[in-house]
Amino acid sequence: MQLTKLGSIAQALAGASCALLGMNAQAGAPGTWDLDAAVLFYSEDNGRVQALEPVVAATRYFADDAQLNVKLALDTLTGASPNGATPSAQPQTFTRASGKGTYTIAPNEAPLDDTFKDTRAAVNITWAAPINSDWRYSSGLVVSAEHDYFSGGLNGSITRYLNEKNTELTFGLAASSDTITPEGGKPKGLYRVPDASAANFKTQFDAARDGDDDTKSLTDVLLGVTQVINRRTIMQFNYSLSTSSGYLTDPYKLLSVINPVSGSNTIDGDGKAVYVYEQRPDSRTKHALFWQTKYMLTSGDVMDGSYRFMTDDWGVTSHTLDFKYRWQLEHAYVEPHLRYYTQSAADFYHRFLLEKDYSAELGKTTLENASADYRLGDLTGTTLGVKYARQFNQQEFSVRAEYFVQSNSGETGMGVLSQQDLYPDTQALMLTLGYSY
Amino acid sequence: MHSSLLPLTHNQHPAPRLSQQACGLWQLCFDAMASPCEVLLDAPHLRADTISALCQNLVRETWRIEHQYSRYQPNNIIHAINHAQGAPVELDTETQHLIQFADTCFHLSDGLFDITSGILRRAWSFNVPHTIPTQQQIEQLLPLIGWQKCRWQPPYLQLPAGAEIDLGGLGKEYAADKALALLQQGAQQNPQPANTPSAAFLVNFGGDIAASGPRPNQTAWQVGLAGNPTDKHIALTSGGIATSGDTHRFIYHEGTKLSHILNPKTGWPITGGPSTVTVIASNCVQAGMLATFALLQGAGAEDFLRQQNCSYLVV
Amino acid sequence: MHKPIVATLLASTLLSGCSQLGVNAYERSLLAKESMLLTSDPIEAGLDEHIYFSKEASSGGRGFGGGGCGCN
Repeated sequence: MQLTKLGSIAQALAGASCALLGMNAQAGAPGTWDLDAAVLFYSEDNGRVQALEPVVAATRYFADDAQLNVKLALDTLTGASPNGATPSAQPQTFTRASGKGTYTIAPNEAPLDDTFKDTRAAVNITWAAPINSDWRYSSGLVVSAEHDYFSGGLNGSITRYLNEKNTELTFGLAASSDTITPEGGKPKGLYRVPDASAANFKTQFDAARDGDDDTKSLTDVLLGVTQVINRRTIMQFNYSLSTSSGYLTDPYKLLSVINPVSGSNTIDGDGKAVYVYEQRPDSRTKHALFWQTKYMLTSGDVMDGSYRFMTDDWGVTSHTLDFKYRWQLEHAYVEPHLRYYTQSAADFYHRFLLEKDYSAELGKTTLENASADYRLGDLTGTTLGVKYARQFNQQEFSVRAEYFVQSNSGETGMGVLSQQDLYPDTQALMLTLGYSY
Repeated sequence: MHSSLLPLTHNQHPAPRLSQQACGLWQLCFDAMASPCEVLLDAPHLRADTISALCQNLVRETWRIEHQYSRYQPNNIIHAINHAQGAPVELDTETQHLIQFADTCFHLSDGLFDITSGILRRAWSFNVPHTIPTQQQIEQLLPLIGWQKCRWQPPYLQLPAGAEIDLGGLGKEYAADKALALLQQGAQQNPQPANTPSAAFLVNFGGDIAASGPRPNQTAWQVGLAGNPTDKHIALTSGGIATSGDTHRFIYHEGTKLSHILNPKTGWPITGGPSTVTVIASNCVQAGMLATFALLQGAGAEDFLRQQNCSYLVV
Repeated sequence: MHKPIVATLLASTLLSGCSQLGVNAYERSLLAKESMLLTSDPIEAGLDEHIYFSKEASSGGRGFGGGGCGCN
């Protein structure tokens, strides 16, 4: 053999045999199931929202790298949520959303609506499979239902692999259609909330209805790049565009009308305070840029950092920073977590309305859109948590405790209103128990 | 230790058997390619049903390769190629890769490794009763031998009418490497908790070995070679081991020991070389081809292996 | 709205540099570990997404949401 002519035969054979053996997309462990389950306890302070959310998901693997994932989630909410009104030195009585009954808030207390009990059930089914060695697709169905809200949606995505699967390009589309059937019917946004003690309350209440239900549709587009940087580093960069149109208003939220000089609630001829139902625009377009990096240290520990920038045509701009450090132990890990979020208020966000923006003759605000929902205001949220997970056999048990503080800010009150805490912090404790098989 | 038969049937092979040793090591035993096949799985983090699923896939895949590339099957690609009567045959991607590899080996070996040389078995028999052909018989076969006479233009392969190819020289090693890759991909698809050692596997198809490691307890696989006079064990962490040659199949003729490795250019056996050569390399296909190349050198086998700087054993 | 253009430019710059980045198939052992999956716990990620969706005005980024609800 002409060994010198061809150099090392062994090396040539090494290359040739590697080319022969290649990297085909072969079946992994088809016919097996994976089960993941978790339950989340969420509790805000001061009698506010409490939630319990159990989730269970099963993944079934098929030949040729295909998989089916089914997820069921239950969400039970109790407790009270701010209704948008401002606190007052006087007691305030509000009509319940259903129109039957009222609730009274003590002086100087935050107005919370405690009829906020609900149970939501959601099902998520996703199918993913390769098209060939360079392409993969997934498609999914989502259905979510609660007593006053129904959502149904479809989603799909295709992924293209490049550079020996070091680069992944993903294009995804999702569309959903929601039906809102508010308790007590859909209120006429921007109109005055009828006063429960009025003689002709029932007539007024019915007149303030704008039908029983309404719909909302959403479309999401996602463009993503996932890139392996080196043996220890992987990054993802996503751009998403989300448009929604239809009934985007929260039917249960309202705004207080305030006298700009005294700072007290504006009252009508019968001495009753004036509140109006909120209304949001009927369309919204959001853009989000998301970047995530994961890096594994030589100890096996993993750092995970991400940043998301969001901006929309409601005037909301937000930044989200998330950082996790997974400290690897033998058959276990400890993962502290820090999340920081800040957002700027929507254009139509007002903590309260001034009399000049309210027309007693028309019985409504003259603004085009208005909402006092604190979730649309300037706010900053910080979450600090830690997760501990332990592996037994092929199962993993985990427990995660997190503490979440959200502080809001905005226009200050005047007169007597300046004595009130218009922006109480939201503090919540979250405990998640997880199981994986 | 528990043991069970896998629910796979084959009209020529018994059902495979999967058992677990007391130490947690899984062992799969089945028959394929006229050899006893054994697979060892050292993967404490994988569930029993995952191991069983992986083993079933492995056996199915091995039997598929056996069926597809056996020259005895009447309905596979080899049969189609060998009975095309001089017409070109379009090959599937996998067969293209194998033919391309065989083509590379033909050139690397200067024509000594030739998959068209199989028809010489019509003249020679190294099993009892031994048959030694006449020169005339050999000369009748020589025109049908020669990879250079075949037209290989991917995806089309065209043999001269009457010529045949035989992939027996790399089929078992290829199947062993494929089986190992399947296990490794299966283990990857069940992401294991970090900081636990990766799973290790050893595939042994009748002496052709492909292994990945290290084993979770940080040791290497200990491979013993039957009939090895020095009784030395090879410690293999990952890679392939293949043996070419046969201590039993040879013919004594006129005082010379004729090995069953035939020179495709002359039609006569290689002489002067060792009975068997075992090579350790990064995968089984490479190990097998190096061992075959070494044997084709005859007396120069050991020199070749030394020059190639590979780990080897010669008997 | 020039933000989508910026996004595309950033993405394509990343892509053109992508062919030099990456590892060989046999070097992916660390990346295959569960702790290195971009979303190592999809259930937990889904729960968090739902919490923050109902407490803030932003959502998504990582992927698609898991169904609408009346909470925002």
